[in-house]
Amino acid sequence: MKGAKKILNIWQALAIAILALFLLFVVYPLGLILYKSIIMKDGTVSFAYFVKFFSKKYYWSTLINSFKVTVASTLVSAVLGLIIAYLLRSIKIRGSRLLNILIVISYLSPPFIGAYAWIQLLGRNGFITRILNALFNVKLGGIYGFSGIVLVFSLQSFPLVYMYVSGALKNMDNSLNEAAESLGCSVVQRVWKIIVPLVMPTLLASALLVFMRVFSDFGTPMLIGEGYKTFPVLLYSQFMGEVNTDDNYAAALCVIVIGITLILFFIQRYIGFRMSYSMSAMKPMEPDKAKGLKNILAHIFAYLVVLVAVLPQITVIVTSFLDTKGASFAGKFTLENYKNILMPKNISTLTNTYLFGLAAILLVVVLGVLISYLTVRKRSILTAIIDTLTMFPYIIPGSVLGISFLYAFNKKPLLFSGTAIIIIIALCIRRMPYTIRSSTAIIGQISPSVEEAAISLGSTETKTFLKITVPMMMAGVLSGAIMSWITLISELSSSIILYTSKTQTLTVAIYVEVIRSNFGNAAAYSTILTVTSILSLLLFFKVSGSNDISV
Amino acid sequence: MSVAISIENVVKRFGKETVINGVSLDINPGEFFTLLGPSGCGKTTLLRMIIGFNTIDGGHIKIDGKVINDIPTNKRNMGMVFQNYAIFPHMSVKDNIAFGLKNRKLPKGEIEARVDEILKIVKIDQLKNRMPQKLSGGQQQRVALARAIVIHPEVLLMDEPLSNLDAKLRTEMRNAIKQIQRQVGITTVYVTHDQEEALAVSDRIAVMNAGVIQQVDTPKNIYQRPSNIFVSTFIGLSNIFNGVLESNNNGIAIVRIGNYRFRMNNILIDSSPNMPVKVAVRPEEFIINRETQEGIPVVVKYSVFLGVSTHYFVETQEGQEIEVIQNSDLDELIPNGEKIHLKVQAQKINVFTDDGSRSLIDREVRS
Repeated sequence: MKGAKKILNIWQALAIAILALFLLFVVYPLGLILYKSIIMKDGTVSFAYFVKFFSKKYYWSTLINSFKVTVASTLVSAVLGLIIAYLLRSIKIRGSRLLNILIVISYLSPPFIGAYAWIQLLGRNGFITRILNALFNVKLGGIYGFSGIVLVFSLQSFPLVYMYVSGALKNMDNSLNEAAESLGCSVVQRVWKIIVPLVMPTLLASALLVFMRVFSDFGTPMLIGEGYKTFPVLLYSQFMGEVNTDDNYAAALCVIVIGITLILFFIQRYIGFRMSYSMSAMKPMEPDKAKGLKNILAHIFAYLVVLVAVLPQITVIVTSFLDTKGASFAGKFTLENYKNILMPKNISTLTNTYLFGLAAILLVVVLGVLISYLTVRKRSILTAIIDTLTMFPYIIPGSVLGISFLYAFNKKPLLFSGTAIIIIIALCIRRMPYTIRSSTAIIGQISPSVEEAAISLGSTETKTFLKITVPMMMAGVLSGAIMSWITLISELSSSIILYTSKTQTLTVAIYVEVIRSNFGNAAAYSTILTVTSILSLLLFFKVSGSNDISV
Repeated sequence: MSVAISIENVVKRFGKETVINGVSLDINPGEFFTLLGPSGCGKTTLLRMIIGFNTIDGGHIKIDGKVINDIPTNKRNMGMVFQNYAIFPHMSVKDNIAFGLKNRKLPKGEIEARVDEILKIVKIDQLKNRMPQKLSGGQQQRVALARAIVIHPEVLLMDEPLSNLDAKLRTEMRNAIKQIQRQVGITTVYVTHDQEEALAVSDRIAVMNAGVIQQVDTPKNIYQRPSNIFVSTFIGLSNIFNGVLESNNNGIAIVRIGNYRFRMNNILIDSSPNMPVKVAVRPEEFIINRETQEGIPVVVKYSVFLGVSTHYFVETQEGQEIEVIQNSDLDELIPNGEKIHLKVQAQKINVFTDDGSRSLIDREVRS
C-alpha cells in the first residue's frame, strides 16, 4: 500500500511541476497582455485601445488586408495542393520521389526568405523583371503588395496541403475506387463523388492550418508588402517601431489576434470533428501510367509547379555564391559571402541557432513525452488542465508570444529578456503542442497491457515507464523531434522580437541582412539554413523509414 | 505449493454502473478455473481485480486465506497472459522472459538457467534470441506464457489468450496451455467467451452474465445439466419449448409440449398439477419419428450434411424454428417439406421454471 502511494506521488509531483511551468510561461505572460490591453496609463480600466483600433481606418484596414491576402493564399494553396497530391498519387510521374522531397523542402524554409527571393526575381530591379523590361521595352514595377504577398504565401503553403491530402489519399483503399467503378461511375464522377468528399476533412483541416500560419506571419508582408500593410506588420511596428510605440496598444492588438486565431481554432476543431472518416488502406491507390498527351501534360504541370516552388531556394543558393556589392550584383562567382558570415565575430549566429534548437528540442521532447504520458495514462482533473493549457501556444502567433515574454520577463526576479534562456523557452513553448499531439498519438498506439505485463512481472510503475514505455515511443518521438528541429531553426516571428546582438540566430540574421540590403550575406545564411534542413530531412527519412511527413 | 483463491462478495463499480455485483467464488489449489460469459459480463474485470489492475470496491479477495486487496500488483506475484500477448517489442525473446526475473534481482546464472528451462517447456528454445516482430502469433503466445510462468507465480491469469489466433492454431495452443498448466501445477484463472475452449481446457467453469455468477461446475455438468436457461442457451445450442408439468407422482413426471406427452423420472418438484415450465432440448437430444404421429409435429425446411452428423432445420406449427442433429447414416436425407414428428430423449433434456431462472432437474437421479 505504501508503495502504491509513493508512485502516485511521483507522477502527481511531476504534474504539479509541469502545471507550474505552464502557468509561469504561458498563462502569466498572456494574462499580462490581457491586463495591459484594458489598463490605461492612468490606471483606469477601459476598452479605449480597442475603440482606437476599430475607429481609425489606418488601423482596421490592416485587418481587412490581412484577411484578403490570407483568404486568397489559402484558396490558391488548397487548390494547388489538392491537384498536385492527386496527380502524384494517381498518375505515374518520373522522379516523383524527388518531387516529393523538393515540395517538402520548399515548405520548410521560412516564408520571408521566399519573399526576399521573389523580390530578387520579380522585384523592381529583379532578374526576371529586367529581362522582361529589356525584351519588351517596358518598365514593369515589380511584384509588390497584395499580389506579391499572395504569390509568396501560396507557393510556400501549398506543400502543407499537399502533404496532408497526399497522406489521406494514401490511406484510401483502392477498393473504394474499384467499387465505384463497378457501380457504373465514370472517372470524373469518381473523383468528384468519392475522392473529393473523402479527402475533404483533411483538405479543410490543412487549409485552416495554412490560414492560421499565413494570417500571423509578419516577415513576408514586411518585406514584399511595401505599402500594403497587414495586421502582423502593424503589430510589429507598434511594438518595435522607432516612433510612436505604445506597449498597451500593442497588447490590445495581441488580444485581437488571439481572438481571431481562437475562433479559427474552434472552427477547425468543429469541422474536423464533424467530418472525419477513419480509413486504413489494405490496398492503397497505385499511380497508373498515363499515355500520350495526358502523360506529357501531367509531367509538365507537376514539374512546373515544383520548379516555381523551389525557385526561391535556387535563387538564394545561387545568390550566395555571387559577388554582391550591397544590393547590386557584379555577376562574378565568389565565396566572399561565406567568408563574411563565417568570420569569428559572426560565427555565434550559427552556433546560437544550433545550440538553441538542440536545447529547445531536448526540453520539448522530455516535457512532451511526460505530458502526453500523464494526460493519456494518468487521467485526472490536474492532467486535464495541463492538456488544455499545453494547447494554448497552438493558437498564439509567435510575435504575440515574443511580445508577451518581453512584458513578463524584463524585471527581477524574472529577468530573462536578452538571454538565451528566453529564446529557448519561447521556441520550446511554440513547438510544444505539436510534440504533445504526436507523442499522445504514439502512446495511444501502445497497448496499456504491455505496461500492465511489466507491472505484473514485478516492475514498479516508474521503472515500467523508463524501461518499457519510453523505449517503445522512441522511434516515433525521434522522427517527430527531427521535424520539430527543422521547424525551430527556421522560426522567426518570436526570435525577431526576443533577440539581442548576442542571441542572434540564422533566421534573424537573414532578416536583418535583407533589411540592410546585404543580400549576399543573407543568401549565404539562407543556404546554410536550407542545407541544414535538407540534411535533417534526410535523417528524418532514415529514422522514420518512410517518405511521409506530418508537421 | 499451489494456492487457493477465494473471492468473497466482491463488488466493482465504474462510475454509477455496477459491473461486478457481489461475486463469490472458491478456486482450489492447482485448479484450471475458467470465467466464461458473453462480452461485457464482467469476467475480465474480475480477472483484473485478482491481479490488481482494477481496485476492489467491496468484499475481499484472498490467497490462501490472506487478504490481498491492498497489495500493489507488482508485489502480488501473479503471472498474466494478455489477449494481445503484450510482448515488449524492443526486447528479444530471452529478454522478455527474463524481465520478471531481473525485477526479482535473481543472480545472473539462475536467470539464465530458468529462462532456458521454461523455453524448453513451452517448446521455443530455438527462438531464444529472436526479436518479437519475427515471431508468429502462436510463437508470441508461447513467449507470453513462458514470461508469465517463469517467475513461479502463485497464480496464473489468462485473459482471452487465444482469441487472436486462427482456428487451427487455437486448438493446438489450447492443448499446449492445458498440458503446460498440468506440468507446472499452478492455480490458473482463465477468461474466455469461447464456450468450446472453456469446455476443452477447464477443470471447472464459472458462467457469468451481467456481473453475476450463473453456475460454477465441471464442463460436463455445465453442458448437460445447466442450472438455468441462460447457461443452457449460452453453452451449446438449446431449443426452448413452452411446456407443462402435468403431474409428478412417485418419481414419475408427465411433461407435455403441445400435444406431445412424455415421462421423466428426474423432476425435483413434487406433485404440482399443470405447472407451466420451459423445456430445453439440445439438437442431438431429439429422436426423429417418421412412422407414427407421436412427438412434436414439424416440417423440414432444409438440411445440411456435415459428414459426421446431419443438421435438419425444421419449423413447428407455431412457426418456431428448431435445429435437429442426427448422426449421419446411409439412408437418404429427409426431403425438404416433409412432415415429421420429434420425440425427445427424456433422460437427457432439461426442464426449467417458466421464468427460466431455475432448473427442475434432480441431478442425483442417473438415467
